[in-house]
Amino acid sequence: MIKVGIPRALLYYQYYPMWKTFFEELGAEVVVSPLTTQAILSSGSSRVVADTCLPVKVFCGHVLALIGECDYIFIPAICSVKTKIYNCSKFLGLPDMTKAVIPESPPIFDIDIDINKGKRELYRAIYKLGRRFTWNPFKVRQAGIAAWQAHLKYRQLMSIHGLTPPQAIERISNKSEAKPEIPPSSPTQTQAAIAVVGHPYLLYDEHINHRLIHRLEKAHYKVLMPEMLTAEELKLATTRLVGRSYWTYEEEVVGAGGHYLESGVGGVIGIMAFGCGPDSLMMDMVHRRAARLRTTAFMSLTLEEHTAEAGVVTRLEAFLDMIQRRKRSQVEVCV
Amino acid sequence: MRIGMPHMGNLYIPFKALFQRLNIDFVIPPLNNQRTLSLGVRHSPEGMCIPFKLTLGNLIEATELGADTLLMPAGSGICRLGYYAKTQEQILHDLGYNIAMVSVGVSQRKLFGLLEMIKRLSNNAPWSKIISAFRFGLAKLNAMDRIERAVQKIRPVERIKGTANKLFAKAIKAIDQADDYNTLKKVQINCIDQLNQVTKVSKAQPLVVGIIGEFYVLLEPFSNLDVESELGKLGVEVRRTTFVSEWTKFSLFLNPLGMNEKDRIHKAALPYLKRDIGGDGWESVGEKVLHATEYDGLIHLAPFTCMPEIVAQNIMPSTKENIPVLTILCDEQIAKPGMLTRLEAFVDLLEHRRRAQSNSLRREHGSLSGH
Repeated sequence: MIKVGIPRALLYYQYYPMWKTFFEELGAEVVVSPLTTQAILSSGSSRVVADTCLPVKVFCGHVLALIGECDYIFIPAICSVKTKIYNCSKFLGLPDMTKAVIPESPPIFDIDIDINKGKRELYRAIYKLGRRFTWNPFKVRQAGIAAWQAHLKYRQLMSIHGLTPPQAIERISNKSEAKPEIPPSSPTQTQAAIAVVGHPYLLYDEHINHRLIHRLEKAHYKVLMPEMLTAEELKLATTRLVGRSYWTYEEEVVGAGGHYLESGVGGVIGIMAFGCGPDSLMMDMVHRRAARLRTTAFMSLTLEEHTAEAGVVTRLEAFLDMIQRRKRSQVEVCV
Repeated sequence: MRIGMPHMGNLYIPFKALFQRLNIDFVIPPLNNQRTLSLGVRHSPEGMCIPFKLTLGNLIEATELGADTLLMPAGSGICRLGYYAKTQEQILHDLGYNIAMVSVGVSQRKLFGLLEMIKRLSNNAPWSKIISAFRFGLAKLNAMDRIERAVQKIRPVERIKGTANKLFAKAIKAIDQADDYNTLKKVQINCIDQLNQVTKVSKAQPLVVGIIGEFYVLLEPFSNLDVESELGKLGVEVRRTTFVSEWTKFSLFLNPLGMNEKDRIHKAALPYLKRDIGGDGWESVGEKVLHATEYDGLIHLAPFTCMPEIVAQNIMPSTKENIPVLTILCDEQIAKPGMLTRLEAFVDLLEHRRRAQSNSLRREHGSLSGH
């Protein structure tokens, strides 16, 4: 059986169930790299030039971790998933860049996803990928449809049931167990809601964000994520803030940030990676909105490989203290 | 309505000519200087690239001089450039400036989009007038670039360093003042004549270094600390394919006709990078492959945190075609002594390499004649 490796980084959090279903329907086995560790991050950043952004360094580390574990590695070049809205250069150059910096990597399955070229090109790209496993176009078609269904289900688990991507992926993987849902249904002890906005590969990689979400939950805050909003809400908020979106993954930063700033949550934390081109602009837009509204506390945290845990914890504590104090003073004002 | 726009090299001269002929009130902010940079850095998001910071500084300085309508290039290239205008508008509004931003989408509608914008700005001037003004602006642009190419050839071999630069500055001034095609032509011929008469050192072939990388930092000497003149002082001839006149020639006139000068470059890049990644990343890789045999070395200029150039920088070392490449990242932290040291070391390396190559050639010849 052919083993296809998928690095647990970048777009894994967005599309893993879809990719997994596609390859499994075609009779391949899917291998995922382990959770990010310091060793993975270091090995990845030793391969690329120093000012490459953090998520790409993590990605290279995961590719290195997959060497010897699989026959092929799947790295799509996702140019655009909506018309006239483009992705960051690093996503476009990802397959070629990986090949250049990790020459010993297993052969790479790359596939061009570019909606601007029309549906026909998209189907042809999917078919070309499927042809590596079967000659039968109908089988590829079936796998594609199944993959799309899996993706829709995954989105639903997140937006309706309020699961985070790792939780949703786990839920999909062990179908049989069907655990009873234990959502954070203890409103009595939750302090306030804190929204965390940013790209999924930063929010859910616990190594690089120093378990930020876990820390917030431990302090009894209800944590809100971009994935918990519906596509409609995200799009509306983005339009209000910047007009038509420019980047593919703009909605999860600008849309979610804009939405939560106006929705009366206790505070919003924007997470970005150092050296990320789109983030440097998008987070600034959210920041400016927050400064103009003056209703919701906002903090932006920049992550990089040198970010020390103590630094993150200190800033988080200061931010939470500020929210507490704000709340108290508001109560006094009301009285 | 007073129009302001950011600087890029001497691009303000053709625009000035164009706007003057159409009676549009045009403000030229001070040429890029330390204050421009400081203003830009202070008000930009920290992770932004140097073109954003400098252009923001220009816009602020133009606004201070009374500009109320600012022109900014935009378009759906895949790099951050398309988002510049949106963000800079917000920054200027937050600073309390009441301005209107006009984004010039050159990438989609090409020549026609540009002409339409000029028509709007000129309060509906007749097309004949717009086109003749546009042609005159283009003529100035072409004259400047032709002289610059000649200057690039003289800089490494002139006996008194700085002569070519002085002549260049004089010519730029004369071009700026030229009022008709005749004077323009005279200035151009004069300057190239004078350049050819500059006393030269009798040196064997100078080293040839290609300059590749991101468009803005290539064309704005302030952002790259005038790397070309510095190389000239070290006796190195500089070649560069990126010129604004080339860009206008192709992207405004020839691309719509299906001609693309970059096809050759893209084809060369294909084995290493299969698709356009926005900005000039694809071209950087392609130029490295193409020039590997033609030049002694390459200097790759990129703004710090430039996304397409980082991808190119990661890919470049893996190409089969081998040529020394020095990447210089431009940002507000770059300092001249540091850059000069790196340039000197690089030029030393290239000289060694050339000597080693000619020695091995001689040895080969020697052994052949011995038999």
